[in-house]
Amino acid sequence: MSKKKSMSRRSFIGKGAAGLSSVAFSSALMEMLLSSTGCKSGPGGAAAGASDLILPEDVLAKAVSHLMGRGADFGDVYVERAAVDSVMSDDRKINTTTTIEKGVGLRAVKGGRTFYAYTDSFEPERVYETARYVADAAEDPASSTGPAVITLAPLTSGLSFPIKPLPSEIGVDQKIELFKALMDRAWSADARIVQAIQFMREIIRQVNIATSSGKIVRQTLGLTEIMAQTYIKGADGQLQAAWDQRGAYAGRDFFTGENAFEKVVDAAAAKAVKLLEAVDSPRGVFPVVFGPGMNGVLFHESCGHGMEADLVFKGSNYKDQLGKQTAAKGVTLIDDGTIESFPGSYAFDDEGTPSERTVLIEDGIQRNYLCDIIYGEKLKMKSTGNGRRQSFRHPPIPRMRNTFIDKGTTPAADIVAGTKRGIYVADVSGGGQVDVITGNFMMGVGEGYLIENGKITKPIKGATVSGMGIEAMKSIDMVGDDLKLFPSAGRCGKMQTAPVGFGMPTIRVRGILVGGKGEAWTDIEGGSK
Amino acid sequence: MNFKKEYLDIARFAVERAKKAGAGGAAVAAEAYVNDTESIQVTVNARAVEQMSAVKEAGIGVRVLRDGKMAFGSTNDLSKEAVGGMVDGLVKKVVYHTADEFNVIPGKEDGALASDAAGYEDLGSFDPRVAEVPVQEKVRTALRMEAAGLDYSPKIAGSMMAVYQDGTLYNYIANSNGIDGWFRQSGCGAGIEFTAAEGESRESGSFTKGVVKWADFDPEEIGRKGAENAVAMLGAKPIASAEMPMVVSPEIGTQLWAFVAAMLSAEEVQKGRSLFAEKVGAEVAAKNFTLIDDGRLKGGFSTAPVDGEGVATQTTPLIVDGVLMTYLYDCYCARKGKAKSTGNRSRGGYGSAGGVGTTNLYLKPGEVAPDAIFAGIDRGFYLTVVLGLFAAIDAASGDFSIPSAGFMIEKGQKTFPVRGVTVGGNLFELLKAVDKVGSDLTWFQSLGSPTFSVKSVKIGGAGK
Repeated sequence: MSKKKSMSRRSFIGKGAAGLSSVAFSSALMEMLLSSTGCKSGPGGAAAGASDLILPEDVLAKAVSHLMGRGADFGDVYVERAAVDSVMSDDRKINTTTTIEKGVGLRAVKGGRTFYAYTDSFEPERVYETARYVADAAEDPASSTGPAVITLAPLTSGLSFPIKPLPSEIGVDQKIELFKALMDRAWSADARIVQAIQFMREIIRQVNIATSSGKIVRQTLGLTEIMAQTYIKGADGQLQAAWDQRGAYAGRDFFTGENAFEKVVDAAAAKAVKLLEAVDSPRGVFPVVFGPGMNGVLFHESCGHGMEADLVFKGSNYKDQLGKQTAAKGVTLIDDGTIESFPGSYAFDDEGTPSERTVLIEDGIQRNYLCDIIYGEKLKMKSTGNGRRQSFRHPPIPRMRNTFIDKGTTPAADIVAGTKRGIYVADVSGGGQVDVITGNFMMGVGEGYLIENGKITKPIKGATVSGMGIEAMKSIDMVGDDLKLFPSAGRCGKMQTAPVGFGMPTIRVRGILVGGKGEAWTDIEGGSK
Repeated sequence: MNFKKEYLDIARFAVERAKKAGAGGAAVAAEAYVNDTESIQVTVNARAVEQMSAVKEAGIGVRVLRDGKMAFGSTNDLSKEAVGGMVDGLVKKVVYHTADEFNVIPGKEDGALASDAAGYEDLGSFDPRVAEVPVQEKVRTALRMEAAGLDYSPKIAGSMMAVYQDGTLYNYIANSNGIDGWFRQSGCGAGIEFTAAEGESRESGSFTKGVVKWADFDPEEIGRKGAENAVAMLGAKPIASAEMPMVVSPEIGTQLWAFVAAMLSAEEVQKGRSLFAEKVGAEVAAKNFTLIDDGRLKGGFSTAPVDGEGVATQTTPLIVDGVLMTYLYDCYCARKGKAKSTGNRSRGGYGSAGGVGTTNLYLKPGEVAPDAIFAGIDRGFYLTVVLGLFAAIDAASGDFSIPSAGFMIEKGQKTFPVRGVTVGGNLFELLKAVDKVGSDLTWFQSLGSPTFSVKSVKIGGAGK
């Protein structure tokens, strides 16, 4: 969509190619970048604590001093270099793109207010100038002293996600060979396929953070994302599209087994084929069973956003809920930034706080919120390491990482078997959105089926599920024992984008609003055995 | 912020460098696109500044074409060294790409325009005031916007989001077919979201608006409308599943037309991804339905003299009186479809090579006053709020089930607020089922629509 200044509400990834719009750069540049960051040495060991600083320590210290020179309460400098390489096959044509970006973001916080600016220059004078501009904006007229002297001490972490192989270790010609095979595989899945897209994006981000509390953090992250989308046309002229995706802070070696590129390509085609046979989704309020894995995005929307400290502070539906029941007994919700290679994992967040595993809801009781430094302070809570930013262009805000419902006790097979009439959602790949004031959320359904007499039957199309966050969470009546975590290429879009992961076991919601253009179901007792 | 000759020079340098890098082999054609942006964003909350960001940034995107193969790269490092290195890399790797006879760097014969030193024609898409107004005044404006909503009613409990944002953009383009030039755009806008509370009822209401000129920006109007939308929803309840007529507000209408226009892109049609294929000349909508894309609309939010590859923009009637007239084309699709570019190469900035996209898109207003649209409806739904539209409409089949809120219409009158329903149907069927089109064309940035009604939709609801 061509909305230049969209002020959308918190929304999740869009459908298909639009959700992974291609950013792009040449392997030569990637090479340059990696060799200058120390990532080239050793067997693909890009990690927190990688040896080199982008800007020398004394420059970082001086920049922080300038930020604090006008009485700010807190300040930080965020230096970033990023290289993005992408390959795409669309319409049987394979092309690559290349992007290289760098910049320094400077933040000063005074009285809870954030002042931010960035420069695309690494020239120390330009960085200091920008720092002074920010300091002036945040100025407290009562206390304008000269620059304070800041000493910095590096932080280290045991958490590191190797990038194997490094994107630069594979030539453009080899990448294109790989894509030729994927392309042929996608097109040969079914004779009715009219279009197929395969897309891969490799991002290397090197980051240095220096803060007025004296911390200095170095981190290099390598994100790989893959996506496949297939369009199919039935004999009756109907057109259907489906897609699948994966993402991880890792190199291509991560994508094996059920995360293999081939599996992603096959899944997109298989889902599209099924849609041709699908019936229109019924509408009304009735039981919905959500399958394990990617569907965890449901909880990202239905309750995760409402627990982000900035939104809690401003009065989301989760405000003042600590210690209270916000979900059915047996439901535990976790936001974990330490799962190896997962898209929401990192050693340090984007303001230098170590990442952690945060229990948000424990057996139905609200235990915590997702905090960064600034909003954590406003709520008188500690940062949970959830201060994230899209790039040097953005100040950090509280964001989710890998958000999932923990494993329950009901044998997964019993959940569908115990449902007389409803729908089974295998994949909510349509994405979703939430209104955190009312708690009203929605998810599009990518792959779904009717449940009739305890069995999964016909595929359905055109379904959405929507409801009110806390009410829906309390309406969960079965939590399966089959927890599955999903390394998603999904990007959460709350004013800025951030890679996030999901997970869940099989779960049943007793009654939730399903939209569709099929028949109206009024039998809300349908959930009973 | 001003025209900077060095940016036009770096664009020309990139093009020359590509030609030079290809010397000795097949000729290289190239295009460079430089954006220079200045922007302020102010977020306020509870009558105080929450966050303020200032942005100044420039970057370059380069396309190189050799032997029918195209490659794209971009960087925000505008030094000759960085740009030259990137261009050399593109020329080297383009040989591995897939050849496509329709790949093109546009020339005059494709509709590309060169500007004189003063830049391309001024179509009223730039206001110097947007950059000149001091930051402190912008901060006050954002505070006034939020205050107008907070003071609208004692039922307003607070604001969840109140953002002011503006931007000034200079675009420079140069290619190896002798095309070069520049133009500028500006915009300022705001988005606001309020909580309204009364008794047990808690509701949200939002409003967003963007304009080209500082003088046209009315912060109080935005604040008031956001608050009004929240208060009006208090006491909302679901209704039972049913089929009934629906009236659609201009704001939601614009979001639907954006989906329709995406399916009218020649790129989607040619790649087999649109059900509008082979429908030119056919009736695809109701008789009173005329959809227009106008890249030259005076003062329009997305008005520009040329598109993202330097081709002159134009006014393109897409659907006229229900009949499909044409698709939207860039030069690649035009060559492939034996048509002319409609000047619709759209790019999200220097970092994207872009594709076919809309400029200023609107549904032509009719002659019916909005009130008269309601008057003819005995029992219906007035759609004013949607959630997750991008996930609720299937862009291939056109099927939709949209989680929605709005108002009940009874005996021609808007009665009580409704939440907790879905609206189900199909976009292609909806176009044909458009009943009355209002006279109240309303713009939301680059998209415009009047109020309109649809004969029947399938409501899914939790109500009894």
